[in-house]
Amino acid sequence: MIEGSGINLSVNLGRIKLKNPVVTCSGTFSSGLEYSEFYDVSILGAVTTKSFSFVSRAGNPPPRIWETTCGMLNSIGLQNEGIDFFIKNHLPKIKSLGAKIILSIFGDDPGEFKKIAREVKKVESSLLAVELNLSCPNVKEGGIAFSSMPAEVEKITEAVCKILEIPLIVKLSPNSDSIIESAIRAKCGGAEAVSIINSIVGTAIDIDTFKPRLGNVTGGMSGPAIKPIALAKVYFLAKADILPIIGMGGIYDWRDAVEFLVAGASAVGVGTANFVDYEAGKKIIEGIRNYLSKKGINDINKIIGKAIC
Amino acid sequence: MKLLSGEIISNEKCGKGLYKIEVFSPYICRNANAGQFVNVKCSPDGILDPLLRRPFSIYNVEKEYNVFSILYLEKGKGTKFLSDLKKGSNLNFAGPLGSSISIGDRSKNFLLVGGGIGIAPLYFLARTLIQKGKNIFFAAGFKDNNFIEWSGELTRLGINYRIFTEDGSWGDEGLATDFVKENIKKYKNYKIYCCGPRDMLISMQDILAGKKISVTALLEERMACGVGVCRGCAVKIKDGNGSFVYKTVCKDGPAFDLMEVIFD
Repeated sequence: MIEGSGINLSVNLGRIKLKNPVVTCSGTFSSGLEYSEFYDVSILGAVTTKSFSFVSRAGNPPPRIWETTCGMLNSIGLQNEGIDFFIKNHLPKIKSLGAKIILSIFGDDPGEFKKIAREVKKVESSLLAVELNLSCPNVKEGGIAFSSMPAEVEKITEAVCKILEIPLIVKLSPNSDSIIESAIRAKCGGAEAVSIINSIVGTAIDIDTFKPRLGNVTGGMSGPAIKPIALAKVYFLAKADILPIIGMGGIYDWRDAVEFLVAGASAVGVGTANFVDYEAGKKIIEGIRNYLSKKGINDINKIIGKAIC
Repeated sequence: MKLLSGEIISNEKCGKGLYKIEVFSPYICRNANAGQFVNVKCSPDGILDPLLRRPFSIYNVEKEYNVFSILYLEKGKGTKFLSDLKKGSNLNFAGPLGSSISIGDRSKNFLLVGGGIGIAPLYFLARTLIQKGKNIFFAAGFKDNNFIEWSGELTRLGINYRIFTEDGSWGDEGLATDFVKENIKKYKNYKIYCCGPRDMLISMQDILAGKKISVTALLEERMACGVGVCRGCAVKIKDGNGSFVYKTVCKDGPAFDLMEVIFD
C-alpha cells in the first residue's frame, strides 16, 4: 500500500514480493549507484543489476552503440568486473540505499552458473532474487544459444536452484520461437518467474564505408520501437499461464507500463528509458498510481492480465 | 551531476552549421570544470526520435552571469532540433558529467591542439588555465574558414595562437599536427592537451611517441546513458601489462593519456 493514496501497488510474483511493479532492466541501471544521484532508488519495486559473470569480462569491441528510429542497438557484450567485485564493492553500497536487489548473473555454461551461485550463496539474504540471464544476444558462448535450447534453460535453472534458496527469475529471449517451451522448462527447473523480453538481434550498416555500425556486427535492439513485439510475447506467455512475468521491452512511460500489466505482466522492467530520462522509473511509478486513482481502481492486481481473452 | 532545465539566453549561428548556445544554470557554473560535458535531450517531450541524449563538451562558463555555453555543429536530427531552439525556451540537460581535467601547479606551459569542433572543450580549458596564470599556446586546425567568425572569441582570450586550414583559406595552409611536429622541440617542457578527429589524435600519438611529453586527449564516442551505467562508449586503454581494458568516455573520461589509447 502506498501511504496516503489508498491504492495498493504491491504485487507478488510467486515468493517475490514487490512494493510496486516497477523494476529496472539488467544492464541499463548498473547496480543503481549512479542513478541514486538523481532519485531515491529505494522507491523502485527492485533494482535489477547488470549481469555479473564469475570472472570479469572485457566486453565487445567498440563501437557498441548505434541509435535507430525510436530505439537503439547495443553490443556491450556483458562487460563486468565479476561477481566478487559486485559482492565486495556494489552490494554494500546499494544495500545501504535501501533498495531491493535482483542480482542478474550470466555464465558461459551450466558450470559457470553454479560457480557464481556458490559465491552468491554467501550473500543471498541481502538479495530479493537472482535473475538468470539466459538470453544475451551479444555473446558467443551461452547467451542466445541457451534461449534456443529449452533443455539448457531447465538444466541451468535446476542447478542454481539447488544452491540458492532465494527465488530465481529466468530472462528469456525473443530471438527464438521457444519462449513458451523455455518458460515451461524454467518452471520445471524451479524458477519463480520469467522476465521477457531481452533485446532483439539487429544491425545497422554504414553505406559510405560498407562496414557494420557495431564492432560486433550485430547488437541487441531496445527502446520504444520494440514495444509491440515485447507486448505480444508477454500477452501470449501470460495467456499460457506458466509463471508470473516481468514484462519489458520498450517501456518508455507509465502508459506503456500499464499496457504490459494489462497484457498479463505482474511487474514491468524499465530499460532504455533510463538512458533518456534518468528519473524514468520514479515517474512511471507515479504515473501508474495516478492512472489507477483516476480510474477509481484501488488495487493494481485488478488490472493485471485484464486484456487476455 | 543533476538533471536540469535551463533557460536559453542565446542560440546564435557563428558559421555554416556552427552554433553557440548559452544556457542559464547556476548549478553548472558552480560545479563544472574543464573537460566535462552535458548530456542534452534533443527532442521535445514525448517525442521519441531522436531518442538518446546527445553529449556536448562544456565550451564556456561565465560564473558572473550564471551562464554556460556549448559550441556545436548541426550534423543530424538532434543538432537540428538544438539549432531551432529559441531564446527564452528551456534546454533539458544533465551535468556536469565526466571527469574534470586536473591541472597541477607544477606545469607552467600548455600547448592546446584542437581540430574542428574539438576546439570546444579546449576553449574552456584555456580559460581555466588563464585564471591560473599559465602560459598557453593554442594551435587550431580546420578544413576551411568556417570557424573564422568564432575566432574572435579566441583572440579575446589574449593568448598566443595559430590557425591552420587544409584549404589555406584562413591562417596557414596545412595541419595543426604538422606545426606540432615541426616545433616539437620547443614544446618539450609543455603539457599538451588535444581534441579533434581520430586521424588527428593518431598523428599526435606518432609525433609524441618516445618523446616523454605529457599529452592528454579528450575523446568522443557515441553514448547511451552518459553516466557510466551502460558501458556503451568504450575505448581501448593500455593496462600496463601489455594488454588493454575498456574504459568509458562518459565516466572514466573524456580525458585520457593519449599515449595509453589504442586506436584499432
